[in-house]
Amino acid sequence: MENNQQQGAQAQSGPYPGGAGGSAGAGAGAGAAPFQHLLQQQQQQLQMFWSYQRQEIEHVNDFKNHQLPLARIKKIMKADEDVRMISAEAPILFAKACELFILELTIRSWLHADENKRRTLQKNDIAAAITRTDIFDFLVDIVPRDEIKDDAALVGATASGVPYYYPPIGQPAGMMIGRPAVDPATGVYVQPPSQAWQSVWQSAAEDTPYGTGAQGNLDGQSMEF
Amino acid sequence: MAESDNESGGHTGNASGSNELSGCREQDRFLPIANVSRIMKKALPANAKISKEAKETVQECVSEFISFITGEASDKCQKEKRKTINGDDLLWAMTTLGFEDYVDPLKIYLHKYREMEGEKTAMMGRPHERDEGYGHGHGHATPMMTMMMGHQPQHQHQHQHQGHVYGSGSASSARTR
Repeated sequence: MENNQQQGAQAQSGPYPGGAGGSAGAGAGAGAAPFQHLLQQQQQQLQMFWSYQRQEIEHVNDFKNHQLPLARIKKIMKADEDVRMISAEAPILFAKACELFILELTIRSWLHADENKRRTLQKNDIAAAITRTDIFDFLVDIVPRDEIKDDAALVGATASGVPYYYPPIGQPAGMMIGRPAVDPATGVYVQPPSQAWQSVWQSAAEDTPYGTGAQGNLDGQSMEF
Repeated sequence: MAESDNESGGHTGNASGSNELSGCREQDRFLPIANVSRIMKKALPANAKISKEAKETVQECVSEFISFITGEASDKCQKEKRKTINGDDLLWAMTTLGFEDYVDPLKIYLHKYREMEGEKTAMMGRPHERDEGYGHGHGHATPMMTMMMGHQPQHQHQHQHQGHVYGSGSASSARTR
Protein backbone atom coordinates (compact mmCIF):
# COMPACT_ATOMS: atom_id res chain seq x y z
CA MET A 1 0.00 0.00 0.00
CA GLU A 2 2.98 2.29 0.44
CA ASN A 3 3.51 2.31 -3.29
CA ASN A 4 -0.11 3.11 -3.82
CA GLN A 5 0.11 5.97 -1.38
CA GLN A 6 3.20 7.32 -3.07
CA GLN A 7 1.62 6.91 -6.46
CA GLY A 8 -1.40 8.78 -5.19
CA ALA A 9 0.78 11.41 -3.58
CA GLN A 10 2.63 11.90 -6.82
CA ALA A 11 -0.58 12.24 -8.75
CA GLN A 12 -1.63 14.83 -6.22
CA SER A 13 1.56 16.87 -6.31
CA GLY A 14 1.22 17.44 -10.04
CA PRO A 15 -1.92 19.56 -10.10
CA TYR A 16 -1.12 21.41 -6.89
CA PRO A 17 0.59 24.40 -8.55
CA GLY A 18 -2.32 24.59 -10.95
CA GLY A 19 -4.76 24.22 -8.11
CA ALA A 20 -3.14 27.08 -6.26
CA GLY A 21 -3.11 29.16 -9.43
CA GLY A 22 -6.74 28.36 -9.98
CA SER A 23 -7.66 29.45 -6.49
CA ALA A 24 -5.65 32.64 -6.80
CA GLY A 25 -7.08 33.42 -10.21
CA ALA A 26 -10.69 32.63 -9.43
CA GLY A 27 -10.52 33.91 -5.89
CA ALA A 28 -12.98 31.23 -4.92
CA GLY A 29 -11.87 28.94 -2.11
CA ALA A 30 -15.01 26.88 -2.57
CA GLY A 31 -14.01 26.23 -6.16
CA ALA A 32 -11.12 24.05 -5.00
CA ALA A 33 -13.33 21.59 -3.14
CA PRO A 34 -14.84 19.71 -6.12
CA PHE A 35 -11.43 19.39 -7.76
CA GLN A 36 -9.85 17.96 -4.63
CA HIS A 37 -12.80 15.65 -4.23
CA LEU A 38 -12.43 14.42 -7.79
CA LEU A 39 -8.75 13.68 -7.30
CA GLN A 40 -9.48 11.77 -4.11
CA GLN A 41 -12.15 9.74 -5.86
CA GLN A 42 -9.79 8.82 -8.67
CA GLN A 43 -6.97 7.90 -6.31
CA GLN A 44 -9.30 5.73 -4.25
CA GLN A 45 -10.45 3.91 -7.36
CA LEU A 46 -6.90 3.20 -8.46
CA GLN A 47 -5.88 2.08 -4.97
CA MET A 48 -8.82 -0.29 -4.90
CA PHE A 49 -7.73 -1.60 -8.28
CA TRP A 50 -4.24 -2.43 -7.02
CA SER A 51 -5.51 -3.99 -3.80
CA TYR A 52 -7.87 -6.13 -5.81
CA GLN A 53 -5.10 -7.24 -8.16
CA ARG A 54 -2.93 -8.37 -5.26
CA GLN A 55 -5.76 -10.41 -3.83
CA GLU A 56 -6.59 -11.97 -7.16
CA ILE A 57 -3.00 -12.95 -7.87
CA GLU A 58 -2.74 -14.53 -4.42
CA HIS A 59 -5.33 -17.05 -5.56
CA VAL A 60 -4.01 -17.78 -9.03
CA ASN A 61 -3.22 -21.43 -9.68
CA ASP A 62 -3.46 -21.74 -13.45
CA PHE A 63 -0.51 -20.62 -15.57
CA LYS A 64 -1.65 -22.22 -18.80
CA ASN A 65 -4.71 -20.19 -19.69
CA HIS A 66 -3.47 -16.68 -20.30
CA GLN A 67 -5.44 -13.67 -21.33
CA LEU A 68 -2.76 -12.96 -23.92
CA PRO A 69 -0.90 -15.26 -26.32
CA LEU A 70 2.64 -15.99 -25.17
CA ALA A 71 4.02 -16.53 -28.65
CA ARG A 72 2.96 -13.06 -29.73
CA ILE A 73 4.46 -11.49 -26.62
CA LYS A 74 7.71 -13.27 -27.36
CA LYS A 75 7.72 -11.99 -30.94
CA ILE A 76 7.26 -8.44 -29.75
CA MET A 77 10.10 -8.87 -27.26
CA LYS A 78 12.39 -10.25 -29.95
CA ALA A 79 11.64 -7.39 -32.32
CA ASP A 80 14.53 -5.72 -30.50
CA GLU A 81 17.68 -7.02 -32.17
CA ASP A 82 19.63 -6.79 -28.93
CA VAL A 83 17.32 -9.31 -27.29
CA ARG A 84 18.82 -12.75 -27.74
CA MET A 85 17.39 -15.32 -25.40
CA ILE A 86 14.25 -15.22 -23.31
CA SER A 87 13.58 -17.56 -20.41
CA ALA A 88 10.28 -19.42 -20.32
CA GLU A 89 9.00 -17.35 -17.41
CA ALA A 90 9.45 -13.99 -19.16
CA PRO A 91 6.47 -14.10 -21.56
CA ILE A 92 4.33 -15.60 -18.79
CA LEU A 93 5.22 -12.74 -16.48
CA PHE A 94 4.59 -10.26 -19.30
CA ALA A 95 1.17 -11.75 -19.96
CA LYS A 96 0.15 -10.74 -16.46
CA ALA A 97 2.03 -7.43 -16.57
CA CYS A 98 0.31 -6.45 -19.82
CA GLU A 99 -3.05 -7.32 -18.34
CA LEU A 100 -2.35 -4.98 -15.43
CA PHE A 101 -1.17 -2.31 -17.86
CA ILE A 102 -4.29 -2.57 -20.02
CA LEU A 103 -6.52 -2.45 -16.95
CA GLU A 104 -4.79 0.60 -15.46
CA LEU A 105 -4.70 2.48 -18.77
CA THR A 106 -8.37 1.69 -19.38
CA ILE A 107 -9.46 2.76 -15.89
CA ARG A 108 -7.57 6.04 -16.19
CA SER A 109 -9.03 6.60 -19.65
CA TRP A 110 -12.54 5.88 -18.43
CA LEU A 111 -12.14 8.48 -15.69
CA HIS A 112 -11.71 11.04 -18.45
CA ALA A 113 -14.71 9.82 -20.45
CA ASP A 114 -16.74 9.90 -17.26
CA GLU A 115 -15.71 13.49 -16.58
CA ASN A 116 -17.12 14.38 -19.98
CA LYS A 117 -20.28 12.36 -19.37
CA ARG A 118 -19.67 9.96 -22.24
CA ARG A 119 -20.36 6.22 -22.22
CA THR A 120 -18.05 5.37 -25.12
CA LEU A 121 -14.32 5.22 -24.52
CA GLN A 122 -12.54 7.14 -27.26
CA LYS A 123 -9.00 7.65 -28.41
CA ASN A 124 -8.75 11.07 -26.82
CA ASP A 125 -9.64 9.54 -23.45
CA ILE A 126 -6.58 7.34 -23.78
CA ALA A 127 -4.55 10.35 -24.86
CA ALA A 128 -5.71 12.19 -21.75
CA ALA A 129 -4.75 9.27 -19.49
CA ILE A 130 -1.31 9.18 -21.10
CA THR A 131 -0.68 12.88 -20.64
CA ARG A 132 -1.89 12.82 -17.05
CA THR A 133 0.23 9.88 -15.92
CA ASP A 134 4.00 10.13 -15.51
CA ILE A 135 4.77 6.46 -16.03
CA PHE A 136 2.94 6.57 -19.37
CA ASP A 137 5.34 9.20 -20.70
CA PHE A 138 6.90 6.66 -23.06
CA LEU A 139 3.55 6.44 -24.87
CA VAL A 140 3.33 10.12 -25.76
CA ASP A 141 4.44 9.53 -29.35
CA ILE A 142 1.68 6.98 -29.93
CA VAL A 143 -1.15 9.48 -29.65
CA PRO A 144 -1.01 12.26 -32.24
CA ARG A 145 -0.84 15.82 -30.99
CA ASP A 146 -4.21 16.74 -32.42
CA GLU A 147 -5.76 14.17 -30.08
CA ILE A 148 -4.04 15.90 -27.20
CA LYS A 149 -4.99 19.33 -28.49
CA ASP A 150 -8.60 18.24 -28.76
CA ASP A 151 -8.38 17.18 -25.17
CA ALA A 152 -6.71 20.46 -24.28
CA ALA A 153 -9.53 22.31 -26.01
CA LEU A 154 -12.02 20.44 -23.87
CA VAL A 155 -10.43 21.87 -20.77
CA GLY A 156 -10.02 25.29 -22.32
CA ALA A 157 -6.26 25.13 -22.41
CA THR A 158 -3.95 26.30 -25.16
CA ALA A 159 -1.02 23.94 -24.94
CA SER A 160 1.99 23.77 -27.21
CA GLY A 161 3.72 20.44 -27.01
CA VAL A 162 2.64 17.83 -24.53
CA PRO A 163 1.27 18.97 -21.17
CA TYR A 164 1.75 16.48 -18.36
CA TYR A 165 -0.58 18.06 -15.89
CA TYR A 166 -3.31 20.56 -16.45
CA PRO A 167 -3.54 23.50 -16.32
CA PRO A 168 -0.91 24.74 -18.78
CA ILE A 169 1.61 27.41 -17.90
CA GLY A 170 0.25 30.92 -17.81
CA GLN A 171 -3.36 29.84 -17.55
CA PRO A 172 -5.05 30.33 -14.20
CA ALA A 173 -7.94 28.06 -15.19
CA GLY A 174 -6.76 25.20 -13.03
CA MET A 175 -10.24 24.23 -12.03
CA MET A 176 -11.32 23.22 -15.51
CA ILE A 177 -10.39 19.58 -15.07
CA GLY A 178 -12.73 19.04 -12.18
CA ARG A 179 -15.72 20.92 -13.51
CA PRO A 180 -17.17 18.44 -16.01
CA ALA A 181 -17.51 15.87 -13.27
CA VAL A 182 -19.42 18.19 -10.97
CA ASP A 183 -23.15 18.56 -11.40
CA PRO A 184 -23.74 22.27 -12.14
CA ALA A 185 -27.01 22.33 -10.25
CA THR A 186 -25.83 20.94 -6.95
CA GLY A 187 -22.06 21.22 -7.25
CA VAL A 188 -21.75 17.69 -5.92
CA TYR A 189 -19.55 15.08 -7.59
CA VAL A 190 -21.69 12.55 -9.41
CA GLN A 191 -21.37 9.30 -7.48
CA PRO A 192 -23.29 6.64 -9.45
CA PRO A 193 -20.95 6.35 -12.46
CA SER A 194 -17.95 5.57 -10.27
CA GLN A 195 -19.92 3.00 -8.34
CA ALA A 196 -21.07 1.39 -11.57
CA TRP A 197 -17.67 0.11 -12.61
CA GLN A 198 -16.78 -0.94 -9.09
CA SER A 199 -19.55 -3.51 -9.38
CA VAL A 200 -17.97 -4.60 -12.66
CA TRP A 201 -14.98 -5.87 -10.73
CA GLN A 202 -17.22 -8.14 -8.73
CA SER A 203 -18.75 -9.44 -11.94
CA ALA A 204 -15.29 -9.86 -13.41
CA ALA A 205 -14.25 -11.76 -10.30
CA GLU A 206 -17.20 -14.08 -10.73
CA ASP A 207 -16.14 -14.70 -14.31
CA THR A 208 -12.58 -15.60 -13.37
CA PRO A 209 -11.73 -19.31 -13.39
CA TYR A 210 -10.56 -19.16 -9.79
CA GLY A 211 -14.01 -20.00 -8.50
CA THR A 212 -14.32 -20.24 -4.75
CA GLY A 213 -11.26 -18.16 -4.00
CA ALA A 214 -12.51 -15.30 -6.12
CA GLN A 215 -15.89 -15.43 -4.47
CA GLY A 216 -14.16 -15.25 -1.12
CA ASN A 217 -12.49 -12.12 -2.40
CA LEU A 218 -15.87 -10.81 -3.38
CA ASP A 219 -17.14 -11.11 0.15
CA GLY A 220 -14.09 -9.29 1.41
CA GLN A 221 -14.58 -6.57 -1.15
CA SER A 222 -18.25 -6.11 -0.40
CA MET A 223 -17.51 -5.83 3.29
CA GLU A 224 -14.99 -3.14 2.49
CA PHE A 225 -17.70 -1.17 0.72
CA MET B 1 -24.36 -6.64 -24.50
CA ALA B 2 -23.56 -9.29 -27.09
CA GLU B 3 -20.93 -7.39 -28.99
CA SER B 4 -18.94 -9.70 -31.22
CA ASP B 5 -15.28 -9.09 -31.90
CA ASN B 6 -14.48 -10.60 -35.27
CA GLU B 7 -11.52 -8.32 -35.75
CA SER B 8 -9.16 -10.68 -33.98
CA GLY B 9 -5.71 -10.40 -35.43
CA GLY B 10 -6.90 -8.43 -38.41
CA HIS B 11 -7.39 -4.82 -39.40
CA THR B 12 -4.59 -3.33 -37.43
CA GLY B 13 -3.03 -2.00 -40.59
CA ASN B 14 -3.79 1.62 -39.85
CA ALA B 15 -0.92 1.69 -37.37
CA SER B 16 1.56 4.27 -38.54
CA GLY B 17 5.25 3.59 -38.82
CA SER B 18 7.25 1.37 -41.08
CA ASN B 19 7.61 -2.32 -40.44
CA GLU B 20 11.15 -2.63 -39.13
CA LEU B 21 11.30 -6.39 -39.25
CA SER B 22 11.70 -8.00 -42.64
CA GLY B 23 9.33 -10.93 -42.94
CA CYS B 24 7.41 -9.87 -39.85
CA ARG B 25 3.70 -9.69 -40.47
CA GLU B 26 1.93 -6.53 -39.47
CA GLN B 27 -0.41 -8.32 -37.10
CA ASP B 28 2.53 -9.87 -35.27
CA ARG B 29 3.50 -6.46 -33.94
CA PHE B 30 0.40 -6.28 -31.76
CA LEU B 31 -1.47 -8.52 -29.41
CA PRO B 32 -4.82 -9.67 -30.79
CA ILE B 33 -7.42 -6.92 -30.56
CA ALA B 34 -10.02 -9.36 -29.22
CA ASN B 35 -7.87 -10.22 -26.22
CA VAL B 36 -7.03 -6.59 -25.56
CA SER B 37 -10.67 -5.61 -25.87
CA ARG B 38 -11.78 -8.33 -23.47
CA ILE B 39 -9.36 -7.13 -20.81
CA MET B 40 -10.41 -3.50 -21.33
CA LYS B 41 -14.03 -4.42 -20.70
CA LYS B 42 -13.11 -5.83 -17.31
CA ALA B 43 -12.09 -2.32 -16.26
CA LEU B 44 -15.30 -0.66 -17.42
CA PRO B 45 -18.92 -0.62 -16.31
CA ALA B 46 -21.29 -2.92 -18.16
CA ASN B 47 -22.98 -0.16 -20.14
CA ALA B 48 -19.71 1.34 -21.36
CA LYS B 49 -18.67 1.00 -24.98
CA ILE B 50 -15.21 1.10 -26.50
CA SER B 51 -14.56 2.72 -29.86
CA LYS B 52 -12.52 0.80 -32.38
CA GLU B 53 -9.93 3.56 -32.37
CA ALA B 54 -9.55 3.21 -28.62
CA LYS B 55 -8.99 -0.53 -28.89
CA GLU B 56 -6.37 -0.06 -31.59
CA THR B 57 -4.64 2.65 -29.59
CA VAL B 58 -4.38 0.39 -26.55
CA GLN B 59 -3.03 -2.37 -28.80
CA GLU B 60 -0.20 -0.07 -29.82
CA CYS B 61 0.35 1.04 -26.23
CA VAL B 62 0.75 -2.56 -25.04
CA SER B 63 3.36 -3.36 -27.69
CA GLU B 64 5.20 -0.20 -26.73
CA PHE B 65 5.03 -1.25 -23.06
CA ILE B 66 6.54 -4.65 -23.87
CA SER B 67 9.33 -3.09 -25.94
CA PHE B 68 9.99 -0.43 -23.32
CA ILE B 69 10.40 -2.90 -20.45
CA THR B 70 12.24 -5.45 -22.58
CA GLY B 71 14.73 -2.85 -23.79
CA GLU B 72 15.62 -1.85 -20.25
CA ALA B 73 15.93 -5.48 -19.14
CA SER B 74 18.04 -6.31 -22.18
CA ASP B 75 20.43 -3.45 -21.44
CA LYS B 76 20.90 -4.77 -17.92
CA CYS B 77 21.61 -8.29 -19.18
CA GLN B 78 24.21 -7.00 -21.60
CA LYS B 79 25.98 -5.02 -18.90
CA GLU B 80 26.09 -8.12 -16.75
CA LYS B 81 27.27 -10.26 -19.68
CA ARG B 82 24.20 -12.46 -19.54
CA LYS B 83 22.33 -13.64 -22.61
CA THR B 84 18.96 -14.69 -21.25
CA ILE B 85 16.30 -12.28 -20.02
CA ASN B 86 14.40 -13.74 -17.09
CA GLY B 87 11.51 -12.69 -14.89
CA ASP B 88 13.65 -10.87 -12.33
CA ASP B 89 15.18 -8.74 -15.07
CA LEU B 90 11.72 -7.68 -16.14
CA LEU B 91 10.73 -6.85 -12.57
CA TRP B 92 13.91 -4.80 -12.14
CA ALA B 93 13.20 -2.94 -15.36
CA MET B 94 9.64 -2.15 -14.26
CA THR B 95 10.91 -0.75 -10.98
CA THR B 96 13.50 1.36 -12.77
CA LEU B 97 10.93 2.71 -15.21
CA GLY B 98 8.44 3.70 -12.54
CA PHE B 99 6.03 0.77 -12.53
CA GLU B 100 6.45 0.01 -8.85
CA ASP B 101 2.77 -0.74 -8.40
CA TYR B 102 3.09 -3.62 -10.83
CA VAL B 103 6.05 -5.26 -9.14
CA ASP B 104 4.40 -6.45 -5.91
CA PRO B 105 1.60 -8.44 -7.56
CA LEU B 106 3.95 -9.71 -10.24
CA LYS B 107 6.48 -10.91 -7.68
CA ILE B 108 3.77 -13.02 -6.12
CA TYR B 109 2.76 -14.28 -9.55
CA LEU B 110 6.32 -15.18 -10.53
CA HIS B 111 6.95 -16.89 -7.21
CA LYS B 112 3.86 -19.04 -7.61
CA TYR B 113 4.81 -19.90 -11.17
CA ARG B 114 8.30 -20.97 -10.14
CA GLU B 115 6.88 -23.08 -7.34
CA MET B 116 4.61 -24.83 -9.80
CA GLU B 117 7.44 -25.30 -12.29
CA GLY B 118 9.61 -26.71 -9.54
CA GLU B 119 6.98 -29.34 -8.78
CA LYS B 120 6.64 -30.13 -12.47
CA THR B 121 10.37 -30.50 -12.91
CA ALA B 122 10.60 -32.81 -9.94
CA MET B 123 7.79 -34.99 -11.24
CA MET B 124 8.79 -35.10 -14.89
CA GLY B 125 12.53 -35.19 -14.43
CA ARG B 126 12.92 -33.49 -17.80
CA PRO B 127 13.46 -29.76 -17.21
CA HIS B 128 15.26 -29.31 -20.53
CA GLU B 129 12.17 -30.36 -22.43
CA ARG B 130 10.18 -27.34 -21.29
CA ASP B 131 13.03 -24.89 -21.68
CA GLU B 132 13.44 -25.87 -25.31
CA GLY B 133 10.11 -24.25 -26.01
CA TYR B 134 11.60 -20.78 -25.69
CA GLY B 135 14.56 -18.98 -27.14
CA HIS B 136 17.23 -21.07 -28.79
CA GLY B 137 17.55 -24.72 -27.95
CA HIS B 138 21.06 -23.75 -28.75
CA GLY B 139 22.54 -25.43 -25.72
CA HIS B 140 24.01 -22.21 -24.43
CA ALA B 141 21.46 -21.87 -21.68
CA THR B 142 21.05 -25.25 -20.11
CA PRO B 143 18.28 -25.68 -17.54
CA MET B 144 20.93 -25.66 -14.84
CA MET B 145 22.35 -22.37 -16.07
CA THR B 146 18.88 -20.89 -16.30
CA MET B 147 18.11 -21.88 -12.75
CA MET B 148 21.41 -20.53 -11.47
CA MET B 149 20.99 -17.25 -13.28
CA GLY B 150 17.45 -17.12 -12.03
CA HIS B 151 18.76 -16.88 -8.48
CA GLN B 152 21.45 -14.25 -8.86
CA PRO B 153 19.25 -11.44 -10.20
CA GLN B 154 16.83 -12.16 -7.41
CA HIS B 155 19.45 -11.17 -4.86
CA GLN B 156 20.37 -8.13 -6.88
CA HIS B 157 16.74 -7.18 -7.13
CA GLN B 158 16.36 -7.42 -3.37
CA HIS B 159 19.47 -5.30 -3.01
CA GLN B 160 17.91 -2.65 -5.22
CA HIS B 161 15.17 -1.82 -2.79
CA GLN B 162 12.58 0.01 -4.86
CA GLY B 163 14.27 3.32 -5.38
CA HIS B 164 11.83 5.91 -6.60
CA VAL B 165 13.63 6.54 -9.82
CA TYR B 166 11.24 7.62 -12.50
CA GLY B 167 13.03 6.89 -15.70
CA SER B 168 12.51 10.17 -17.47
CA GLY B 169 16.01 9.70 -18.85
CA SER B 170 15.16 6.22 -19.99
CA ALA B 171 11.87 7.48 -21.32
CA SER B 172 13.70 10.09 -23.37
CA SER B 173 16.10 7.54 -24.77
CA ALA B 174 13.20 5.22 -25.45
CA ARG B 175 11.43 7.98 -27.30
CA THR B 176 14.51 8.75 -29.36
CA ARG B 177 14.89 5.07 -30.13
